Formats: sequence, C-alpha cells, structure tokens
Amino acid sequence: MIMAKGNELRDKSETASLFALRSFLDFLFPSENDRWLSVLRFGLGLQTVVYALFLRSDWHYLFASSGKGLVGREVGEAIASFDSPLIPKLSWLIALGRSVNMSEEAVLSVASACLLCAGCFLLLGLFCRPAAIVAWFLHLCAAESGGLLAYGADNFMTPALFYLMLSPLPDRYAFDQWVVNPKPKNPQLLGFWRRVLQVHLCFVYFIGGLAKCLGNGWWNGSNLWRSLIRPPFSLVSPDILVRFKYALPALGISICLLEVSYPVFIWMKKTRRIWLVCIWRCTLP
Amino acid sequence: MFPKRFYAAWFGIHFLLITAVCFAGLFSLIAEGATMLPSALEPYARKAEVAAAWLLGKEAPAPSPLRQGIATYLHAAGIQAGYTFFAPNVPGYHRLTLELFYDDGHVEHESPHLRSKAAGLRLDSLLDRLAEQSYKPIREVIVKRLAFSVWRQHPDVKKIRAVFGSVTPPGLAQFERGEAETFQPIFSFDFSLRDDHGEGQ
Repeated sequence: MIMAKGNELRDKSETASLFALRSFLDFLFPSENDRWLSVLRFGLGLQTVVYALFLRSDWHYLFASSGKGLVGREVGEAIASFDSPLIPKLSWLIALGRSVNMSEEAVLSVASACLLCAGCFLLLGLFCRPAAIVAWFLHLCAAESGGLLAYGADNFMTPALFYLMLSPLPDRYAFDQWVVNPKPKNPQLLGFWRRVLQVHLCFVYFIGGLAKCLGNGWWNGSNLWRSLIRPPFSLVSPDILVRFKYALPALGISICLLEVSYPVFIWMKKTRRIWLVCIWRCTLP
Repeated sequence: MFPKRFYAAWFGIHFLLITAVCFAGLFSLIAEGATMLPSALEPYARKAEVAAAWLLGKEAPAPSPLRQGIATYLHAAGIQAGYTFFAPNVPGYHRLTLELFYDDGHVEHESPHLRSKAAGLRLDSLLDRLAEQSYKPIREVIVKRLAFSVWRQHPDVKKIRAVFGSVTPPGLAQFERGEAETFQPIFSFDFSLRDDHGEGQ
C-alpha cells in the first residue's frame, strides 16, 4: 500500500517535470518567420555604418599606439588581456599587417573601411553571414582595444552582432536570398533566436529597473532631474524642467516600475504595446 | 532537424552567465553601500558577489583555462558587463583641466578633446571611469597620456598640471536658488615635459 502510494507520487513528479520540460522547449522553440531577422539585420547594418562613419575622423586617434593616439590602445588591451589573452584586439590585426609589411596606420584604415563595408553589406543583405562575422569581429576588436573609451552603446552592439552572426541568415529580404536561393529555414530555429533576443532584453530592463529601485534618487525625482540636466543628455532646459518639478518623483518611480515589470508585461498581448512604447520613450532623450 | 537539446543547453548556460554578471554587479553596489538598503546587508552582499564571481570563474587562478575560457566567451558575446546604467543613482560627471605653463611664464587652460561628438562621449566615459576606485592604479598613466596628447599640439609647453575632479550639478532646489554646478578636485599631477618626466601629487 505504502509502496504503491510512493510509486504514484514518483510518477506524478516525473509527469510534472516532463510537462515543465516540454513547456520550456515549446517556449524556446516557437515557430516564427524571418521578418524579425530582416529588421535586426537592417538595423544592425545601419548601426554599424553609423558607428564607422561617426568615428572615422577620430579612428586613428582613438586606436593608435601610445605616443600617436589619445591614450594609446595598449592600456585598454592590457586590461582585456588581464581577463583573458584570447579576447580579440586590434593589436592582433596590426601584428598580422606587420607580417605583410603594412604599417599600423594602414591596418587601422583597412579595419575601419572593412567595418563600414560589412555594415553596408548587412544593410543590403549581401554575403550576410560573412558580413555579420566581420562586423562582429572588428567591432569587438575596437571595443576591447578602446575598452577604456567604451560606453553604453557598445554594451548593446557587441551582443546584438553576436546574435546576428549566429542567427539563421540570410532572411527573405536579403539580396543573398535572390542570388543563391538557399534552403528554407527551420521556423523553430528562427523562433529560438528571436526568443534569445527577447529574453536578453528582459534581463536588460529587469536588472536596470531593479538597480534603479535601490537608489533613493529614483523615488524622489532627483535622479530624473540629474539625468536630464547632465551633459550630453541636457536637451531640455532646466527652467522648463523646474515647471514640472512635482511630476519628477512620479516619473522616476514610473521608470523603475516600467523597467522592473518589463519581463512580465511585455509577454502579455494586452500590455505589450503600452510597455514597448513607454520603454522606447524612456530610452529616447 | 536541428539538435534542440544542444540549443537549449547553450541557452541555459548563456543566460546563467548573464544572470551571474548582472547580479555580481548588483551585489557589488549593495556591498559598497551605494544603495538605500540597510548597511547590515553589506557583508551578505559581499558574500553573494563572491559567489557570483565564483560562477564566472573569477575565483580560479588567472592562468586557469576555465577562467580564461569564460572571460573570452563573456567578452565575445558582449555580456561581460551588467546593465546598471544610471543606477542606483545618477552620478555626477568628471572634468580634466590641463594648465599649460610656458617658458615665458604665461599659463593656458586646455582640455583633451576629439573631433567628433561621438568620440567626445567616449572621452567623457573615460573620465567617469578614472574616478572609480578600481582604476586608481592606472590613473597617473592615463592622465599622463591625455596630457601628452595635448602637449603634442603645444610643444612649447614647459610643464602641465592636470587637475581631475568631479562636477556636481545643482539639485532642483539649489537650481531654484540660483546655485550653479560645483567642481570638487579629486587628484592632480604635474608633468614636466622637457625631460619627459612625470611627477604625481
């Protein structure tokens, strides 16, 4: 009698764990089309082009060795090498260039041009996979060599290029699709990579929101004030902000709650659009 | 068919690492007393931070392949840093002023600068990093290099005094009273350039 009850309980728990595993796999591998991948490829292509163009005038100054550049890339590279010597850096490319008698300036120029080309190829959807790999690698080298000069945008660009490189490219709107006519993509694999992006964004907003909740300045509005008058985000005149001073605490709390509850409400159809619009508004200056 | 188990396992490991990185950052903020949580929690937060660091292989010896492998993956995937932007509180910003002393006795004030605004944001980011305690050992090297970058444009300069400090913008009430931002010097270095020799103060 007791043994029969024990077996029944064990069966129940096994069924529950099998059900949980199946639900998890269903969540991870939904069937999707590749429209989201087109948006990601195009957006990252544009971002890469803008990154390369905006840094073009300072590229050598930022990444040259000491004595020629702003702080020299050696310090940033030493910090990265302290974590692991296997992390890609611009010095690798410069050493490679030296072996074929290319100067440091020439290698840096080629790296910048290649990054711009990779961005253009991603925009057009031409040689999608190689372009994504080149864009990821060169951006990573630049981000690590200039690690001291890196800022928030780099923290998003590297993972986005990493995911794009691994996603099932090319998508239906890519030029590659017309030229080589590749095999149709598995909709579940497309769904998996979309889930990876979605879950990553949930982490970004949840952790950001949680950390903000721990600062008293977000509850009394002072952080919102500070963030809006701090250069280079000071797009609204402080005189105008003062007029809305009573709204600042409510807005600060709203930002905390929006971010921390993003992983819940972004999955619900009814609230998804509201959360998306609000989060989008918060991230825009 | 593609190997679903392989993808699911990668997903699990990848997001476990992201969780560890994010919570290590969060616990570090609590342990430093940067949050509004009671200070009694600080020792526990420190322990939790160490546990998260262990998960990331940071407790292993530096040449350990596991530690280097995890670090390489984190950097390659761009997940080596958490997402605590403007949190828990919005920090002030920092300024580096260089006083250029010429042979004839006159003094000019200059700051390191870049051509584009995009690169200028990166310089601001570097200055904010210099204020962090963890960057203390390399402050002098960085400031010396920044001073040297300015000296290349002013080769007649005899000595450069670099003053680094934090700029605290006025609070809302202070702004209403007409108060302006305040500059608090944190450290300064004197660099005499003729003999390529730096002196820290």
